[in-house]
Order: sequence, then structure tokens, then C-alpha cells
Amino acid sequence: MTGVRYRIEARGLTQRFGRNVIFKNLNFALETGSSFCITGANGSGKSTLLKILAGIQAPSDGSVTYADISRGALIKECSSCIGYTGPLVNPYDDLTALENIYFASGRAEKSRIDSLLKCFHLTGHEDKKIRHYSSGMKQRLRIILADLNDPPILILDEPGTNLDESGRRILRSYLDSVSVEKAVILATNDRDEEKLCGRGIRLG
Amino acid sequence: MVREILRNLSKDFSVEFRTRFALNVSIAFAVTATVSVSLTAGGVPFPSLVQSILLWMIIFFSAMNGLSHIFVREEDQATALFLRITMSADSIFISKFIYNQSFMMIVLAVVTPLFLFFLQVKVILISYFVLTILSGGLSIAAGATILAAMVAKAGGKGSLFSILSFPLLLPVLWVSIFATKNSLDGARPADYNSLVFLLAFSGFISAISFLLFRFVWIED
Repeated sequence: MTGVRYRIEARGLTQRFGRNVIFKNLNFALETGSSFCITGANGSGKSTLLKILAGIQAPSDGSVTYADISRGALIKECSSCIGYTGPLVNPYDDLTALENIYFASGRAEKSRIDSLLKCFHLTGHEDKKIRHYSSGMKQRLRIILADLNDPPILILDEPGTNLDESGRRILRSYLDSVSVEKAVILATNDRDEEKLCGRGIRLG
Repeated sequence: MVREILRNLSKDFSVEFRTRFALNVSIAFAVTATVSVSLTAGGVPFPSLVQSILLWMIIFFSAMNGLSHIFVREEDQATALFLRITMSADSIFISKFIYNQSFMMIVLAVVTPLFLFFLQVKVILISYFVLTILSGGLSIAAGATILAAMVAKAGGKGSLFSILSFPLLLPVLWVSIFATKNSLDGARPADYNSLVFLLAFSGFISAISFLLFRFVWIED
């Protein structure tokens, strides 16, 4: 990932559900090496906005563009350059953590897998089935799965959910380190995670 | 893409062989239905047409119990989003299609010998019989894969899947039943039209399903 620069840009993003306008005309851009925080009350559209940015959902109006700045090229299909996780991204309960990791890893090397497991304190638990994981361990695995293939854009929906204080500390230190070389977009209501972001918007 | 297909296939087989949910349900249905029919008949042989109809009904409903599971499980266990962000819709369809074909072959391998044994069915044209069973099974699994995805996205369960599948797969069952009857009677067909129809149906439905799958799978 080193040396590669990406840019994600939202133009005029609007989302409606029926007649209900969730958010309207959002414009922002973000490059690798910076972080962006989306806050707002429950139901304000944070998760929807993240899904739109990750290309999982289409907006009612507006567009999201991705560009490889180092090559000066727009990217039409950016699924491999985005790592996304959220409360609805569930690993397979009947597989072990390592099996889920190998399932999700298109190109991750063993050393990267080991370092992520170590960083999130899951070393020694990688051969346990996910159904035996606590909700906090599952959340840490979700973050590992999102960043496994070392994507330049990392989109995390409520990454601190279910984490205890030590888990949150690990997460904050991890986010602090990856935001140096990636574009990190967070949806959170945690003040400490919010402080890690250079910029942000509040929905609702 | 090949790597994605292999990864998804390996994951699906691992999950299925650990839980064996679909396989157990299908095999249990097949054994129960075959033994029940055999006991009801009381050793009296059925006419070849009735034998063919019974064989295909047992194959159809045994398979229906398991074929939908491949997509319904992803929705039930809320893993569909993880799968979706992990690989392309094309890879997902192809791997699920191959999985369903493999599952169908297992069902056929269990149901057919069981049925032949318990109902004391005598097959005269063995190679024609085997080809009919294989191509009929191939067509059912081909049609069932896209329907399973639609039923899963609609939040439906097994019963909806069987109801939707029946009209789509009726031509397959119809042709398979008569081709099986001919193989039991020893009436060698002149042009193998039944087999050509079954293979053409599989090819057509597979191609259409592949093209339409992304619209079923990716909801905007």
C-alpha cells in the first residue's frame, strides 16, 4: 500500500426512504493519510451513508467517485480498494476465526494475518469457532477482516461497538496508526474516536 | 475469480459438513419416503410409469429440502453482507451453482439405489437410465439455484421455494419421468430427444440465471 494515494469524493449525496429525506446534498472528499468522522443520532443515516461510500448501496441522488491519485485515474469498480465493516457484517459462526480470515483474504500474507491477530489480541483464539467468541472478540475480528487486504480506504461503522475499555484503547491506537497511510472513514458517537479524526460531519 | 469461487466452495462445504443440516434433512426425507412407499406397496410391483413418477417425486422433494439452504442460510445467519463485500456476484453465483450441483449428485447417489432396492425396480436400459437421472438432476439443480437466491432475498423459507420451483421445473420432471419410464420398459429412443431437452434446459436456465443473479443479489 505504501506510496499509493487514493481519493474518495462524495458529490451531492442525498438519501430518501419514501418521502422521508435522511440526508441531503452532502459534499466532501478525503485522501489517503487523513480521517473523517460521521456522527449523529440514531436513525440519522450514518450507516446508510457509509454503505453508499463503500459502494454497497446506491444513493437516491448524487455520486461517489474513487480515484487513484498516484496514477491520475478514476476507478470505476473499487471493491478491492475499500475495506468495510459494520454491525451487519457477520463472520461465519461455524468456521474458525482463521478460516473466516482465509475466506476473506484475497491476497493477505501470513505475516499480515499474524500481525493483525496480535494487534487485536486474538492470537491463541484463531482456531476457535466464531460461535464461541464473545461479542467483543467478534467485533475485533470484524475490524481485522475489513483491513485484511490492506485497502487504501477503510470504512468502519461503529467500530467500538461491544468493545471494553481495553478493546477501545487497542482500536484507537490502531486507527491512529493506519490513518497515516489510509483514508479512514468512521461512523461513531464515541468522543475519543471522534477526536482521532481530522474532519467530520454531523448528520440529523 | 477462480480463487474466489474455490474459496466460497470450500467455505460452503466446510459449513455444510460441520452442520450437515441440509444433507441430513434431504437424506432423512429420501429414506422415509422410499421406505414408506415400499411398505405401502407390500412387495407388489408398481407399473413402470408409477415407479418413474414416485422416483422423481422423491428426488424432487428430497433435493428441495436442501437446495434452497445454500442461500437461505446466508440470510438466516446474517452473513450475506460479509459474503457480498468479500467477492463478486459472479463468483458467488458460480460457486453456489457448483455446490448445488454437487449436492444434487449426492442426493441422486443416495435416493436412486435406495429406490431401486426397496421397490425392486428392474432397469432394462441401464446407461439410458443413468443418463436420464443425471441430466434430470442437473436441470433441477440449475433451476433451483437462482430460485433459492430469490427466495432467500424475499425472506422466504423452504415451503415458498418448493412452491416457486414446481411450475418452473415441471417440464423437467415431465420429460425425466417419461424418459425414466422408457429406460425401465426397455424402449430405446431413436433420437434421445429427452436427454437433449434436459441438457438444453440446464444450459439455458444456467445462462439466464448467471446474467440475472447480480440483480437479485445486489439490492440498491
